[in-house]
Amino acid sequence: MIAPLGYAVAALALVSMCWGLLTAVLDRPPGKAQLLYAAGLELVVLVQSVIALVGLARGFRPAELATTIGYLIGILVLLPVAWLWANAERTRFSGVVLAIAAAAVAAMTFRLIVLWVPA
Amino acid sequence: MSTPADDSPEGRDSRAPASDSPQGAWGVVPPHDSVPPPPRTSSGPGRALVAVYGLFALAATARGVTQLITSYAAAPLAYVLSLVAGIVYVVATLTLARGTATSRRVALVAVSVELVGVLTVGTLSVVDPAAFPRATVWSLYGSGYGFVPLVLPVLGLLWLRRTRPRPTAARRSAR
Repeated sequence: MIAPLGYAVAALALVSMCWGLLTAVLDRPPGKAQLLYAAGLELVVLVQSVIALVGLARGFRPAELATTIGYLIGILVLLPVAWLWANAERTRFSGVVLAIAAAAVAAMTFRLIVLWVPA
Repeated sequence: MSTPADDSPEGRDSRAPASDSPQGAWGVVPPHDSVPPPPRTSSGPGRALVAVYGLFALAATARGVTQLITSYAAAPLAYVLSLVAGIVYVVATLTLARGTATSRRVALVAVSVELVGVLTVGTLSVVDPAAFPRATVWSLYGSGYGFVPLVLPVLGLLWLRRTRPRPTAARRSAR
């Protein structure tokens, strides 16, 4: 984990969350740009997880190793699943689904930053 | 099977030309049946509800499994409860997402268990904190998760009630 990257991921995720809530309030399904943004967010999250897992492979041991690994892998699942679920029925609630996943990505990233202290 | 009344030629043909709208063909149906059927549990707001359930299914199950593997002896009851909570969320997620008649019944059981679970574990964790370290999603009524675990089963029950099937013309004529 690199703290600045983590904060950047969290900020990008919070933007995605607000975007999803905005289209929901406007009663529109998510637009193309919004979906591409979510895909871009997933890429950044993937980069973050790879960097952290490489750090673990090189011997860094955080206080809660199992939880950290679980978070680093689990955080990768959220956006793709939410993307598919949101697009299977495109309504205002598609935006809410994306917002829920994005909020979870932000929360998990904050937790990862806190967990990333030597044992 | 359709009844003779359903097939009556006058019933449809006399009305269909009178109106361009597709509703014209349904003119024979009593007015209260023209109310649109309730949404499936996976539709509309249900999409968001299933998404939250899915999130908690992942969070609680992963947490329970991790705790049981790494430190079962520390608090066996709490950790087994974590896993049970996770399984309840998984069942609720899948059944609400499917939305068939059978899965609705299973979902009702799962969501009810969830409500009883969060109230019981929440209360016990307040009364006897030593027995319940803040180690399950239901401890202190889910305060570690923004009390979402307390609100979620209530929303789930309301949503199941809102989407309960009403008798339809098709079903009545089938009887």
